[in-house]
Amino acid sequence: MTEPGRRVTYMDLPRQFADGEVVRRVAEEFSRCRFVLGPQVAEFESRFARLCGAAHAVGLNSGTDALFLALKALGAGAGDEVITVPNSFVATAGAIVMAGATPVFVDVNAEYLMDPAGLEDAITPRTRAIIPVHLTGNPADMDAVGAVASRHRLAVIEDAAQAVGASIGSRRVGSIGEAGAFSLFPLKNLGVAGDGGMLTTNSAAVADRVRLLRHHGLRNRDEVEVFGYNSRLDTLQAIVGDAVLAGVEQVAETRIRHAQLYDRALAPLAPHVIVPPRRAGVRQVFHTYVVQVEARDRLMPFLESRGVETKIHYPIPIHLQKAAESLGYKRGSFPVCEAQTGRILSLPVHEYLTDDDLEYVVAQLMEFYPR
Amino acid sequence: MRVPYSSLREQFADSEAILRDIKGLLETTQFTLGPAVARFEAAFARICGARFAVGVGTGTDALFLSLKALGVGPGDEVITAANTFIATAGAIVAAGARPAFVDATDDFNIDPAGIERAITPRTRAIMPVHYAGQPARMGAILLIAAAHRLPVVEDACQAIGASVDGRLVSSFGVAAGFSLHPLKNLNVWGDGGVIVTSSEELDATLRLLRNHGLRNRDEVEIFGYNSRLDTLHAIVGNHLITEVEAITAARIRNARALDAGLLPLAPRVRIPARHANERHVFHLYMFEADDRDRLRAYLIERGVEAKIHYPVPLHLQPAGRRLGYREGDFPEAERQAKRIITLPVHQHLSQDQVDYMVEVVTDFYGTGSRR
Repeated sequence: MTEPGRRVTYMDLPRQFADGEVVRRVAEEFSRCRFVLGPQVAEFESRFARLCGAAHAVGLNSGTDALFLALKALGAGAGDEVITVPNSFVATAGAIVMAGATPVFVDVNAEYLMDPAGLEDAITPRTRAIIPVHLTGNPADMDAVGAVASRHRLAVIEDAAQAVGASIGSRRVGSIGEAGAFSLFPLKNLGVAGDGGMLTTNSAAVADRVRLLRHHGLRNRDEVEVFGYNSRLDTLQAIVGDAVLAGVEQVAETRIRHAQLYDRALAPLAPHVIVPPRRAGVRQVFHTYVVQVEARDRLMPFLESRGVETKIHYPIPIHLQKAAESLGYKRGSFPVCEAQTGRILSLPVHEYLTDDDLEYVVAQLMEFYPR
Repeated sequence: MRVPYSSLREQFADSEAILRDIKGLLETTQFTLGPAVARFEAAFARICGARFAVGVGTGTDALFLSLKALGVGPGDEVITAANTFIATAGAIVAAGARPAFVDATDDFNIDPAGIERAITPRTRAIMPVHYAGQPARMGAILLIAAAHRLPVVEDACQAIGASVDGRLVSSFGVAAGFSLHPLKNLNVWGDGGVIVTSSEELDATLRLLRNHGLRNRDEVEIFGYNSRLDTLHAIVGNHLITEVEAITAARIRNARALDAGLLPLAPRVRIPARHANERHVFHLYMFEADDRDRLRAYLIERGVEAKIHYPVPLHLQPAGRRLGYREGDFPEAERQAKRIITLPVHQHLSQDQVDYMVEVVTDFYGTGSRR
C-alpha cells in the first residue's frame, strides 16, 4: 500500500508555533527588555516545579548543564566516579566528564533502561553518584536504583532530559532523586526556541547552590561566594517555555495514545518487530517510540521511500565512541545495549500525527515483513 | 533629569524587523545552529579582521572553551587581572585551573610587569582583560608571552572594536572571547558569546567542544559541552552588528565630552590617562573620585544611575580568598576599588544628559561635599 507523496515526518516542530501565540508573547515581553533572569524566569520555574511535583526548579542554559550543575552541587568532581548507562545521548556522559569525574557504565534491560542488577558490581570506593536515564520518556526503575544508592550512600540524579511529565505511580520524574535534569531543547516534549534546561530538586540547599553556580557564584551584584558558571535560562526562552508548558500534558497524552496504537498494531509482527515490555503503573511520555527490528538497514530506506521518516537513538553507544577510548571499554562490555543498538528504530510518534498516519506507518511495516 | 545606566528600551523601541525575522525562525524552527548563526559568525570574524568566529552560549564560555581548546586543565595556572568581572576568573576555575591574579596600572589596565612576576612553571596561559573597553598593553604582554612560550587568550568581552595602533583586539592572542550580554556594546536578547581565532585547528576544536564533541550526528570525537549561540540571538546579532561602529563612535563621543567636563575637577576627580594610539570603546566610563560613596549617592539622588565596576577586587572576594590571597596583595586594584565610579555612557545619551552629569559631579564637589 504505497501512497505517492505521502509524508509522515519524524517531527513537526513548525506546527508547535503555528498559532502565533509564542510570537505574540515574545513581542509583548521583549519590550520590557528583561533579557536575563527576572520574574518571567521565576514564574516559569515555579510552574515547571509544580508540573514535576518538585519543591524547586532552576532554569539553566541546557539539559547538559542541568546534569553538570547537579553533579557540582552534590560535590562530584575530580577523582570521583559516576555510574550511568551507555545507550543515552552523549551529554549524559559529557556532563560527568565536564564535572571532572569518570563515567562508569552499566548495561541496560529490555526497556532500554539502567539494569539495577548491574549496579552493585559497578560501585567502587570512588563512586559518588548514580545517573539513571529515563530514556525515551520511560522512567527507570527508581525503587531498585534508590535502594542500591541508599545502601552505599550515593546521590541519585535523574536524567529526565527526555521525560518531562513521566511518572512512577504518583511520583513524577524529577522529584524522586536528589535532583532531576531536564532539557528544553526544541525537539523535546517541552521544547523552547533554542537551548534551555531545568534542574528540579526537593532540597532547598541544592536549589540555592545551583542558583549561585548558574550566575557566576554571585550572592548579590557584588559578592562572589564561589567561582561559578554562566548558565542561565534566557528570559525569552522562559517566555516561550511558559507558553509551551500549558500544552505539555496534552502532548504527553497524545503521544501515549499514539504509542498504544503502535503497541497493539505491531505486536503481531514479532519477532520481526519487538515492542519492549510495558510496566503497569508507570507513565511513559514517549519522547521517542523505539522498537527493535530485523533487517533495519533495509527497513529504514524502505520506509523512507514510502515517505516515513525514522531515526536511530543512538547508532553508536557511548562506550564505543572515540571520545570514550580512554575509559577502557570495548565491544562486548555491555551485550544487551550493543545487541539493541543494532536493532533499535524510532518511529514518528509526535502529537501532530493522525491515526491515519500511524496506520499508514504500520501498513508499511506489515508489507516489509512478509508473513 | 533622569540618566539611566542602560538604554535597552531606546535601542529596541522599534524592533519590527527583528521581530519579523524571529517570526520567520518560528516558521522554519532552525533553532539550533541555524543559518543565521553561520552568517553572524562570518560577519563577526569580518569586523574583527580574523579568519574564524565561533558562536557560543556566553562570554564566560567563550573564555572557558578557549582555555579547554588549548588544553588548560587541573594543575595549571592562568594569569589574569584582579580587577575584572568575576567571569574571567570563573572561566579559569571552570577549566580546572587556578587563576593567578595581577595588579592594575593607574588606568585600570592589567600591569605587564605584574604578569612577568606571576609566571611560574605551572603557568599555562595569559588572559589579559581589555577592561572597560580599553585594550590591555598588548605590545608588552606579547613580548612576555613569547619569551615564556605562553599562549595569550584575550578577554575582549567588553571591548568589541577596540584597537591599539590600528590593530584590533582579538588579533593579538591565539583566541579572544567576546560577550553578547544585553548590556554590551554589541548585544543580543539574552546570553551569548563569540570566540575569535585565526587558527584553523582551534576553530575546529571549538566547534566540536561547543556541540557535545559531535563530529556528525552520530560520532562523538571528544567529550564536549553544550554551549551554542542560539539562532534566535544570532538573528538579533545580525541586525545589530551593522550598527556597532556607530554605537562605538557615540560612546567615544560621550566619553570625550565627559572627560572634558570632569578634567577641571582634578584632583578630586581623576580621569585615567588616555593614550593617543589606543581606541578605547567605552563599554564602561570609569574614573576615580574622592568621597566616592557619597558622590554615588548624590548622583543617584539626582537621577543619574552611577555604578561601581567593581567594589571588591576578585582576590578579596570570598571565592578569591579561598585561593590564598589577602588584603595588600594588589594595592593598586584595592585602592582603585574604593575610588572608582562608573557613569552612563551609552549611545542614546543626549548632550543635555552628558552636561547634566558633569554639572551634578561639579556641584557635588562645589557644594554637595560640604553639606
